[in-house]
Amino acid sequence: MGMTLVEKILANKSGQLVVRPDEIVEVSVDLAMTHDALGAHTAAKFNELGVAKVWDPQKIVVIPDHYVPNKDIDTARKCLNLKKFVREQGIENYYEVGKGGICHQVLVEKGHVLPGTVVVGTDSHTTTSGVVGAFATGIGIDEMAVVFKTGRLWERVPATIKINVEGKLESPLFAKDLMLFILSRLGVSGALFKSLQFTGSTVSEMSIDGRMVLTNMAIEAGATNGIIEPDDKLVDYIRSRTDAPFEVVKGDPDAEYAETIEFRTDDIKEPIVAVPPKPTNGVGVTEVEGTKIDQAFIGSCTNGRLEDLRVAAKILKGRKVDRYTKVIVIPASQEVYKGALDEGLITIFVEAGAMVGPPTCGPCMEAHMGILGPEEVSISSTNRNFEGRSGDVSSKIYLASPATVAASALTGKITDPRQFL
Amino acid sequence: MKISGRVWKFGKDVDTDELFSGRYIMGGDETSESNYQQFIGESGLSDVAERDNVPSNFLTDVQPGDVIVAEENFGIGSSRQQAAETLKFKGVRAIVADSIHRIYFRNSWNLGCPAIDLPGISQGFNTGDNIEIDLRESLVTNLTTGKEFRFHLIMPSWFIDMVEAGGLIPYHKALKS
Ligand code: SF4
Repeated sequence: MGMTLVEKILANKSGQLVVRPDEIVEVSVDLAMTHDALGAHTAAKFNELGVAKVWDPQKIVVIPDHYVPNKDIDTARKCLNLKKFVREQGIENYYEVGKGGICHQVLVEKGHVLPGTVVVGTDSHTTTSGVVGAFATGIGIDEMAVVFKTGRLWERVPATIKINVEGKLESPLFAKDLMLFILSRLGVSGALFKSLQFTGSTVSEMSIDGRMVLTNMAIEAGATNGIIEPDDKLVDYIRSRTDAPFEVVKGDPDAEYAETIEFRTDDIKEPIVAVPPKPTNGVGVTEVEGTKIDQAFIGSCTNGRLEDLRVAAKILKGRKVDRYTKVIVIPASQEVYKGALDEGLITIFVEAGAMVGPPTCGPCMEAHMGILGPEEVSISSTNRNFEGRSGDVSSKIYLASPATVAASALTGKITDPRQFL
Repeated sequence: MKISGRVWKFGKDVDTDELFSGRYIMGGDETSESNYQQFIGESGLSDVAERDNVPSNFLTDVQPGDVIVAEENFGIGSSRQQAAETLKFKGVRAIVADSIHRIYFRNSWNLGCPAIDLPGISQGFNTGDNIEIDLRESLVTNLTTGKEFRFHLIMPSWFIDMVEAGGLIPYHKALKS
């Protein structure tokens, strides 16, 4: 009996011939990422372990992104402690403010993540990196400290759920609508201790930007990771970003899947909006159309990429956003920012009356640059709408595609983007 | 390795906010272990008494060595490690639940507090029952009723050594290399 893509990666990296679901294995880590929210904590834990040096400074990437530029003295202190550790350990892959962006975006676009590898990060959305056919997952600070020491991590081998999607995905539907639709079927615990592997003609047709939405939000169904088997498009993408050698790993034809769930894009009748407080609460936009909003945010590791900004700009071009709505656009990385400048998108946003921020997580979590006050309502291109996720516990977040967010920005209420596309 | 103790029965969807309220999360100092321990002890479970999925006398009556048996979705919520630390601090020795969220599962094992998911297990226990968990044999026994339950997790022996050492950090501190 064969193994799935994830099982093969975990077998390779644990030195075992075969691994099976629910088995605990110890794997070698190819890439370990931490950021400013937990990096200083991880460094402090590492220093307790009684070794002077990390296992391999080349395999660690440090990207301050949550509280940058620092919002207060406390976050500045955390970043300073982290940078001290980076210097002491000779970690070269450090992205200072102005050089990187949101960690998950930077890992992929700078070619740090390679097919067939094991990637861990102190952040639950590390699953994003599975877009390149890597096993990528989030871990805690204690375990990251141990990874820094040993380069090894224990993992419970997840069984794989195959999410097969067929059909054309065309405007006004985008990757986000598809993923919110999938999540509404899976529920918050639908993929516990499972790997979500996305396959099918729709996924093949999608850009790498779009595919990242799927792997990014795999965690919202409780999955250990999300993954997509590399194809030529992916290999070209990586080759354009790094010279590092890699080997594409694919699942065996006779692999056993926990389940295969079929989706057809035809079944998605309209853009999807996830109603608070769960990302799995997806409904058709017409069901919530007209809900008044106070803020519209386009950004984050889910939907802050060039493709997202292009769609938003298409809708906002030559128009003005609602006079009382705070509209915030934050490119996910410096590279995305530069692309948006070159294409004139930033001008469109500014002329429409949106505030454009520097690459950072910003309002995605209750960090800075757009925290919601009591009872405020936001429509956001991010991945989580839990109670108090972006501000006061009484505030509310609706999750949607950048198109739906941009359309809503124009009217000050949740709006079907079809009339503007 | 066998763990035995007295059972506290929890309901479903016990989330990390109940175990460790998010409003304490910025407290504590990542550079000082003693400060951190004190903070975990004081802040953990502080808001829990009113919830319907946790026995109201848990906070006052829990004793070192007790075991939690819970319904589904134990540990759902954020990735905060403090949620698992706070139960360990109160003396909870292990958790068995119908289902457990992954980050909680990892955090708890890494603290040396086994967290085992076993669908249907909550039906087999009441508060006050005595439980025995045999990690090597993958067996959970209700000593009060005599009923046995098998779980799926397959563990290498170093993993059990880690639990015996008190968790991942103590295990690695003790490993000289
Ligand atoms: S953008 Fe949001 S979800 Fe993504 S890493 Fe930052 S805080 Fe987390």
